[in-house]
Amino acid sequence: MAEETYAARHGSVQVNSDGGDGPPLLQLDNVSMIFGGLRAVDRLTLEVCTGKIHALIGPNGAGKTTVLNIISGFYKPTEGLVRFNGQTIQGFDSAKIAGMGMARTFQNVRLFKELTALENVQIGMHRIIKEGLAETVFRTPAFRRAELRSAEKAKELLAEIGLQDKATVKARNLSYGQQKLIEIARALAQDPKQILLDEPAAGLNETETTDLVHLVRIVRDRGITILLIEHNMNFVMSLADRITVLNFGRKIADGAPGEIVSNEEVIQAYLGRRPSLRST
Amino acid sequence: MLQLLINGLAMGAIYALVALGIVVIANAVNVVNFAQGENLMLGAFVAATLTLTFKLPILAAYVISVIVLAFYGYVFQRLAYYPLRQKPFITIIISTIGVSMFLKNIARIIWGAQPLYFSGLFGEKSIMIGRFAVNPQHLLILGITGVLFLFQHYFFNRTYLGRKMQATAQDQEAAALMGIKVSRMIAFTFIYSSMLAALAGVLLAPVFYVSADMGGMLGLKAFAASIIGGFGSVPGAILGGLFLGIVEILCAAYVSSLYKDAFAFIVLILVLALLPRGLFGEKISTKV
Amino acid sequence: MKNRLLQKLAWALLLGVLLVLPHLLPNNYYRGVVNLSLIYAIVAMGLNFIYGYTGYISFAQAGFFGVGAYTSALLVVDAHWGFWSALPIAGLAAAACGVAIGIPALKLSSHYLAMATIGFGIIIQMVMQNWERLTHGASGVHDIPSITIGTYNVDSAVGQYYFLLGFLALAMFVTWAIDNSKLGRSFKAVREDEIAASSAGIDLTFTKVFSFALSAFFGGVGGSLYAHTSSYISPDTFSFDQSIVLFTMVLVGGAGTVCGPVIGAIGLTLAPELLRFLKEYYMALVGVGIVLIMIYMPQGVVHLFSQDGRVGRWLQSVKQRSTR
Repeated sequence: MAEETYAARHGSVQVNSDGGDGPPLLQLDNVSMIFGGLRAVDRLTLEVCTGKIHALIGPNGAGKTTVLNIISGFYKPTEGLVRFNGQTIQGFDSAKIAGMGMARTFQNVRLFKELTALENVQIGMHRIIKEGLAETVFRTPAFRRAELRSAEKAKELLAEIGLQDKATVKARNLSYGQQKLIEIARALAQDPKQILLDEPAAGLNETETTDLVHLVRIVRDRGITILLIEHNMNFVMSLADRITVLNFGRKIADGAPGEIVSNEEVIQAYLGRRPSLRST
Repeated sequence: MLQLLINGLAMGAIYALVALGIVVIANAVNVVNFAQGENLMLGAFVAATLTLTFKLPILAAYVISVIVLAFYGYVFQRLAYYPLRQKPFITIIISTIGVSMFLKNIARIIWGAQPLYFSGLFGEKSIMIGRFAVNPQHLLILGITGVLFLFQHYFFNRTYLGRKMQATAQDQEAAALMGIKVSRMIAFTFIYSSMLAALAGVLLAPVFYVSADMGGMLGLKAFAASIIGGFGSVPGAILGGLFLGIVEILCAAYVSSLYKDAFAFIVLILVLALLPRGLFGEKISTKV
Repeated sequence: MKNRLLQKLAWALLLGVLLVLPHLLPNNYYRGVVNLSLIYAIVAMGLNFIYGYTGYISFAQAGFFGVGAYTSALLVVDAHWGFWSALPIAGLAAAACGVAIGIPALKLSSHYLAMATIGFGIIIQMVMQNWERLTHGASGVHDIPSITIGTYNVDSAVGQYYFLLGFLALAMFVTWAIDNSKLGRSFKAVREDEIAASSAGIDLTFTKVFSFALSAFFGGVGGSLYAHTSSYISPDTFSFDQSIVLFTMVLVGGAGTVCGPVIGAIGLTLAPELLRFLKEYYMALVGVGIVLIMIYMPQGVVHLFSQDGRVGRWLQSVKQRSTR
């Protein structure tokens, strides 16, 4: 689906084979998040390498979404440092972090319901397209060019996820799976260096999940670093270059998928007593 | 100074009563009843009419007025709230504003534009406490509201009905699953709220004139008081009301009496700027 | 083919009526009412930005309206400025007030915000009433000169009508321009989902405060126009009740649309005149009317006629039947 469109338009893509890890784009250094008496995140140290797909897994309540919220600026960590692209960003406002090149999706899809699919994606370009007040009110040629460009790019992104026909449909009228894709398109519209995906496969059926795997690979191949949270282990195994496992806010394992699958503590905490997972 | 304080507390108690009525409904159905001030006005008018036109004894007038408003509360929630109960919050607010407009103007038509005066239980004489002349009505207000708050605390926390109402306020679905008749609890909440307003109205009437406009500004200030105290919190509404009453009277005396009405709102904005959820505010966190 | 022609004819008819309207009306009283509705339309369009587009409740619009009216009137009457210099200052003064309430309002929502804006509006009105040395107090400002364009004096009801119509057209154009732009989208994004908007890079603080300022600016401009076409202003006009009326205009007409506030303003300003025979029952009926409108068409008139609305869908079914 998405892969065919992309390949058809750009020719085959050189997949980024593992020639050693790139420098860390995102670093968490002893990050803790304490709510009242609860340590939602406990001295977490984590590195996401440039151009890689890094998965964050763990049982419900392990603190994974909290970590994402800290990274994207919605929470200020009680302790610790967060570094993105060389800059210390903990405590920064989420819009500012977005402007630095970080995009994200949400566990409970957050689209702009009354806006069309196209407009939803266009909003991702908020920091890229410049339209001042005077230009808007006087409808200058510069304004019109900017609007045209943003609409064009949004349409391209919609085509990449196969939803170009839905451009004028209001987001609330789209199916759940379609809404999840639009959220990703919106994140891509930000031209980000890194995308955080919060349970992107949740609620998707078999076909939709396979399409999503293709899409995530394409995103990675464009050079975008990905940090994702997921419960669907097949999904994680087919994509992740590296996995970090959290339990009760603490990191209990960190490494390549093969290592994680055979890690005793991980199996006990999360995967249950039957260690029957093989990477696809 | 004592005079001022008692004045302020008394006015504050009135604010607290009205605020309480607002908060009780807001907790139960997440609706701000902008007509609460007009409920107070109705209570005052009914009592005034019973006393002046029908020559009933004052205490009887008080009691009957509260009962009448109880019925009214039921009717109001059936006609104005019930059809809108699924609608967004702003829609319901606007319609309560519509009701308040309706009540204000109907009152003007029924009772005329001239303010009425009816003396309370004590007539016009002040009593002496030490060196200060105090209006006994103020003391009555304080006394009755004090008793009411105690009663309310007992009712909501110790009686079965009260706890059912609390349950409904906290989680309608769960309450329904427990076998509580939610719509009946909601009706009771509205009834209770309008009874509170009626009580406030009859207590206040001897202090000011009774007129169709008396409810408007008062309702707004009571709302402000409930927000200062922390919207949704019952002790917040009470403390907010008392606080506002005192601050208002002190500012009017020592700063400027011209801007008396503005002080309530200046305090409100200051409090909100520093504590966006008021003093005992509801802690709402949005799940990201 | 036929449909297109009919549509064009309808628009041409509307335009024609608009152009000759003052001459169709029997006397200056009715022309005055129409002119007033045009001014309220501009003020309501202002409110539409903060409420309709950005999704924030504001009951302070009458306050901004008043700030604009007083600023303009006092600059011209007391400081002897000309109208055309006073007008932008009036708008900016109101915008400054918009920022003043916008900043504390950042952390507020729903009932807290409603109350804060009510309070702000009341404070403004009290200042108008009590700061006599500046505002002339409760007696208001008298003998405000009318607008002059070069040597032409806009002091007749007919002249004012065309002048105000021009301003309204301008206001509608600006609203439309913003509606279809990145700025408009950013307002709507904040309304729909603040958190998602922030994660997409939208600066919430700037967007919300700017939206308040923009709303207030429109209100202030409307106020200046009001002052110089009415020749007398007093604090009573700029009350909480007026803010409610303005809010209802936006709601009834259709929040978040370009035409909605205009329709609401014209409807709610003309209605009292048409229902004059009801005398003292009028306001009470307005109250009932508001409740009924909230029950049956809470999204406003414009929505009724749009594709999802009752009238819109009925029209579509009629069209489908006629093409068979």
